Amino acid sequence: MNPELPPLCVSCSIFRREIEELRASGRLDLPVHFLDSMLHMVPAKLESTLQESLDAIRAADPDRKVVIAYGDCCGHMETYESRPGTARTEGINCCEIILGREAYRRLRKEGVFFLMPEWTLAWKDVFVEQLGLLGPNAKTFMREMHTRLVYLDTGLVPVPHGTLREASEFLGLPYEIMNVPLDFLLASLKQAASFARAHG
Amino acid sequence: MERNYSQELLMAIERADRSGAALIIDAWAGQHAFSRVVPDLLSPVLETFGNLWASGHGGVSLATGYVASKVAEDVLSRLLQEAPAGGGNTPVKGPVVLGNVEDDFHPLGRKMVAAFLRTEGWDVRDLGVDVSAKQFVDAAEEVGSRIIGASAMMHTTAKNVARIREEIDGRGYTGRIMLAVGGAVFKLRPELVKAFGADGTSDSAVSASALFDELWQRSISLYPGTGGALEQP
Repeated sequence: MNPELPPLCVSCSIFRREIEELRASGRLDLPVHFLDSMLHMVPAKLESTLQESLDAIRAADPDRKVVIAYGDCCGHMETYESRPGTARTEGINCCEIILGREAYRRLRKEGVFFLMPEWTLAWKDVFVEQLGLLGPNAKTFMREMHTRLVYLDTGLVPVPHGTLREASEFLGLPYEIMNVPLDFLLASLKQAASFARAHG
Repeated sequence: MERNYSQELLMAIERADRSGAALIIDAWAGQHAFSRVVPDLLSPVLETFGNLWASGHGGVSLATGYVASKVAEDVLSRLLQEAPAGGGNTPVKGPVVLGNVEDDFHPLGRKMVAAFLRTEGWDVRDLGVDVSAKQFVDAAEEVGSRIIGASAMMHTTAKNVARIREEIDGRGYTGRIMLAVGGAVFKLRPELVKAFGADGTSDSAVSASALFDELWQRSISLYPGTGGALEQP
């Protein structure tokens, strides 16, 4: 093992643009391997793919430190993050990781449904194809569970206003745009990297 | 040829067709007393649906599970409207308290469980999302519930079930208040039910009523009291 090597980050692609921006700007020095965010729709597949990815890293270098840039997104996440030299970004899900705990809890208590940039573009696939919410069920369901949509704008891609209007109309909820800095994500990644380095 | 209302209703639910389900129930009610719709039509269909759900049948999705619970709610709502004042549709079991554990903001499963429990005659006190251990036990004390139903989607939040266990035991309600849990993580990792101190779980929201029947009886067998609601330790 080369002790100089930084931890390798395995990340959900939901953070792809944000992490690439942090790396390009020199604020983050972790090499990153991204896994498709749509794996969330089949948690068992997410789990097996993540495990395969972590196993492959260990097979290549048993002492390599690993950062898992995920929320608690599958049933055995805590098993993976408890391996020596491994740490996960703090947060229940991607929205909490990028918003920070306080803002996330406050908005969830208000009934907010979050739209991250990558999933906003795939909203129809998620709601209609994957969850089966068609016709009046979509509006009834969303209005019963939520009060509004909030698009988390990390400033790296143009806000997809047309897509948001379409999703808002289909789901029967108003939407708003919230500017989100990358500070919480960066802090969470750095904290996890530091933990992974210290707990080999 | 006689219509198979049960099969039609099941298929409507599997298509997530709430209005279609309502039409089938209306047609059934044209030939039967509507007061019999739960035991004679809805419950058997929901039981079949629950079995499909528990077995991971491909036709059961978030949308179909949601629609099944809305069909149950629609039936209950109509029963309440049609019942004479103080009539026969008041809850006959419970009361029980339900909620999502602290830090859990995923209400769907809990709402579905509440709908199916009410269909089976349970008096459900729904505390909502992000409910602390103290709030759960306070509510159970206040209403006299022998069961707390706690929902958690992820392992991180499911750990808060252990806090409810501590709160129940700390106040001397061990065996008096039973702790039922549900949610994705318990379905994926059933060993967590015992690990976090819960008394039971069910394979699906539809089968929660059977679990609650069992837990209620277990509480009564340990602490009979007057045979009804929770009493102080």
